[in-house]
Amino acid sequence: MGSYVTTLCKEITSTLSQLPQASPLKTLFFGGGTPSLLPPQYLSRIVDTLDQHCGFQCDAEISMEMDPGTFDKQTLKQFLGLGVNRVSLGVQSFNEDFLKACGRSHGLQDVYEALDIITGLNVSNWSLDLISSLPHQTLEHWEECLREAIGLSPAHVSVYDLQIEEGTKFGVWYKPGHHPLPDEDKSASFYRLASSLLREAGYEHYEISNYAKPGFQCRHNMVYWKNQPYYGFGLGATSYFNGKRFSRPRKLKGYADFVELCINQSSDNFSANEEYLSFYSNTVESVEDRVCDTIMLSLRLASGLNLNELSKNFGHELRVHICKSFLPFINSGHAVAVDSKFKTVPPDTFSTALSEQSASKVLKDVIFIRLTDPDGFLLSNEIISSLFTDLPIK
Amino acid sequence: MDILARIQAASITAPCLAPQHHHKHLQQLCFPMSTGHHFSCFYMHQNHFPVAMPGHPCRIPSGSIRCQSGAVEAPEMQDVKFSKSMLSFDMGKDRLSKVPASQIRNFSIIAHIDHGKSTLADKLLQVTGTVSDREMKEQFLDNMDLERERGITIKLQAARMRYVAKDGEPYCLNLIDTPGHVDFSYEVVSRSLAACEGALLVVDASQGVEAQTLANVYLALENNLEIIPVLNKIDLPGADPERVRNEIEEIVGLDCSEAIFCSAKEGIGIQEILESIVAKVPPPKDTSMNPLRALIFDSYYDPYRGVIVYFRVVDGSIKIHDKIQFMASGKEYEVDELGVLSPGQMQVNELFAGEVGYLAASIRSVADARVGDTITSSANKAGMALSGYQEAVPMVFCGLFPVDADQFGELREALEKLQLNDAALKYEPESSSAMGFGFRCGFLGLLHMEIVQERLEREYGLNLITTAPSVVYRVQCADNTVVECSNPCELPEPGKRVWIEEPFVNIEMITPKEYIGTLMELAQERRGEFKEMKYITESRASVIYILPLAEMVGDFFDQLKSRSKGYASMEYSLSGYRKSDLVRLDILINGEPMDPLAAIVHKDKAFAVGRALTQKLKELIPRQMFKIPIQAAIGTRVIASESISAMRKDVLAKCYGGDISRKKKLLKKQAEGKKRMKSVGRVEVPQDAFMAVLRLEKEVV
Repeated sequence: MGSYVTTLCKEITSTLSQLPQASPLKTLFFGGGTPSLLPPQYLSRIVDTLDQHCGFQCDAEISMEMDPGTFDKQTLKQFLGLGVNRVSLGVQSFNEDFLKACGRSHGLQDVYEALDIITGLNVSNWSLDLISSLPHQTLEHWEECLREAIGLSPAHVSVYDLQIEEGTKFGVWYKPGHHPLPDEDKSASFYRLASSLLREAGYEHYEISNYAKPGFQCRHNMVYWKNQPYYGFGLGATSYFNGKRFSRPRKLKGYADFVELCINQSSDNFSANEEYLSFYSNTVESVEDRVCDTIMLSLRLASGLNLNELSKNFGHELRVHICKSFLPFINSGHAVAVDSKFKTVPPDTFSTALSEQSASKVLKDVIFIRLTDPDGFLLSNEIISSLFTDLPIK
Repeated sequence: MDILARIQAASITAPCLAPQHHHKHLQQLCFPMSTGHHFSCFYMHQNHFPVAMPGHPCRIPSGSIRCQSGAVEAPEMQDVKFSKSMLSFDMGKDRLSKVPASQIRNFSIIAHIDHGKSTLADKLLQVTGTVSDREMKEQFLDNMDLERERGITIKLQAARMRYVAKDGEPYCLNLIDTPGHVDFSYEVVSRSLAACEGALLVVDASQGVEAQTLANVYLALENNLEIIPVLNKIDLPGADPERVRNEIEEIVGLDCSEAIFCSAKEGIGIQEILESIVAKVPPPKDTSMNPLRALIFDSYYDPYRGVIVYFRVVDGSIKIHDKIQFMASGKEYEVDELGVLSPGQMQVNELFAGEVGYLAASIRSVADARVGDTITSSANKAGMALSGYQEAVPMVFCGLFPVDADQFGELREALEKLQLNDAALKYEPESSSAMGFGFRCGFLGLLHMEIVQERLEREYGLNLITTAPSVVYRVQCADNTVVECSNPCELPEPGKRVWIEEPFVNIEMITPKEYIGTLMELAQERRGEFKEMKYITESRASVIYILPLAEMVGDFFDQLKSRSKGYASMEYSLSGYRKSDLVRLDILINGEPMDPLAAIVHKDKAFAVGRALTQKLKELIPRQMFKIPIQAAIGTRVIASESISAMRKDVLAKCYGGDISRKKKLLKKQAEGKKRMKSVGRVEVPQDAFMAVLRLEKEVV
């Protein structure tokens, strides 16, 4: 653990020290694996390293993913002392059987203890993860689970479907859509139920799988969905800056070698630096990729695709083109056009505008197109891939 | 690419229980109405310049180099059994030298597929020194990939051999190969037979006579050919030459007392066959002094020399640089190149009555030098053409559409090129809302169709969707006109029709008696009308039915083969048109008719077909954002209906920083999938669904 953190800190140092002027961080997120198992002194080293090289904005959001049963009050207290101000608790379910079914090592007892620790330490910005579409799960089970979650009044709730990955034991046991997993229709009704119950309870459904009380959206994750740049450090971490997406090696040895190379590069001359870039980094995202990223990510958000930004970045023609591609989905009620006053543009108006010569003029008024909740969100893949199919870019 | 690859495969392989049988059965198709054409001439260089000319440069337009190389090379003798044939090797070199007509023997080999024709032909070429062992590629006469894969001979070829008989005289033997199958083959076979005076009837001593063999024997008898029965494969443990000899005598009525027992593989009986040809096959009449008349029995297109015409000189003689005329097309040419096939092309200066050869005359398309046409001399025209020329009439039709609309131009070019070499192939542009632009193509029969499709995909790299094959219907309209129609979409409205006629065929199935019942059932299911049944031997029978051609263009042969465990064979001929109670069955997806899936079916079958098709489509069309009704309808009457419920959920739950590239890839893949779908109105139908339904249609319609 110690040597991994050392390597990690080396990576942070070498990356940030290469930058002419690294601006203070607005958000920091510890996730992937189980960061709550990290001894506080190591966390301290990481935070210090970051502080040294770029610092934090005064209101920076520092989140940590924590799994029930992996931390005690003392640990969390120390984390908070080190600056962590948002906790994302991987509860998954409030049912002992389902907890087992989704392959979690923690039990219901662990869940309640973890919740006690969090409330006991007055953490106000905390999030709760739930998993639906578990084997044998019924709509009644799911409603119970959602109500239990709402009763605990977290600032934020994330709701995911059970993901059956090939090559895992789940992949061997279960086939998506087949018994005992719920079928597509049932799984859709789980999604609808979550959306309606949580919204009723005052949560904004601000992203396909995320709900938050006003002011408690996860600012870090918003960076991803707004397609903004971010650093990534550590094993398998992904970064997006200088227009490049890059995934670090997923194996410890590969990662250590990579960091070694980074260090050599940072002290070396420019040409060697180029070589490193060509070796490790992907090329800059193409226009097509950037358009696809923008569409795919922004449509995950309740606010939707910002057309003004789209034309600013990719030209006015694309804006008109995309509006046309959206037409069938707007007509079918899966998407909505919104004007500058945040008012919904009726489908008829939208469609008439598109068919007229003056399309561009009327469309100037449409600022956002967003997917509807829950109908549009539920079919977002279908809609996004249709938009991709229609893209004028080769 | 996966899906595309599957589509390719699907479009060429009809759905059958026993795919292996599928291609084999086809060779037994004989299609007497198919005429004047032959698409045997498809295969260009590789066929015509086989290994006899090592490295033959088909790119060298006029090839004097190639001509002799194979012939002069000293053959290597490995098989000591043929000590006698050492003699003929030396003679083999002289096979170009002229012999009097009395020493010419023109013969062909009639055999059922797998009965060993190719092996025997190879052996004859080897023993006469025409081809050395080293040059001998397995089965010389069918060296085209497609043929080999299917174990059939498509290409018709000829080989001139020199053989010094026991009487000490050198003879010129011309083997004219008949294609071992080809629906459709009737014309080719009949012209090839017409070019001969004799034929070897090769029958597998363990199997017996098959339907196709029989048909060709009758053809040979009609052409007054001397028939020499040969019982092949006598070395096999299951061989029963005596039984098969009796069978031939009983069925064909041929005297088999002098039938030759042979094993082409082991080289047994080869010498006897050669002697028998010399002794029994009559020499051609020496009519060299008459005006030129030569019968075209094959032709193919060579991109560098134009059409190469294979012919038999019946009267007169033909010289290089002669001005010649094709009597049916009326076109005139000058002979650029003249030669014999031995089996590669070898140039000569002149050919006389009785001889077999080839010529090139800068002919631009095989349509100008059709099989059955007569070549005469422009300067000294013959009074009358030889009989037997008929226009090619396509009997089976289907639509061919590129999967990728961008390939339409390529498809047109490919069809143009194929037509250069295949006078029987007809096509015209067709467009459909569901499939876009494509062509309606006419073929002589099913095998012809499959071969064309396969060549388009293999050689031209096209990815095609083919609609179910259909036949030509004749519609009597209320206004007293008769409309011929092969495309269901063009069928006149029910109100305008008085009746519809469809082509019927006479079908003869020869089968071991234990399968009689199941084959009769098959024929009945296919609207067959029983004609007669007779036992040809104690254990084998011939069953004759009349049934609609449309019922045969589907999977009839596959069924025949699979239901008889491969033992039955069949043969059919067109018997004419008859009225039938036919309707047009439309398939509607979300209310939109899917033109390519429309079918003309018998009224009694419409319901079952409609249900099968709608069910299949329901299985194959993925859920979409709205509910999709799928209906089968006759006119406005819906007879079967299914529906696909709307898609409920297709969403990626998690998409954070580390997921973006992967999720984008997934969505792009999904988008690619959409591009491969055809839009029918608002519904996206995967190509596979089309293919599967078309395949199903071939089965059930």
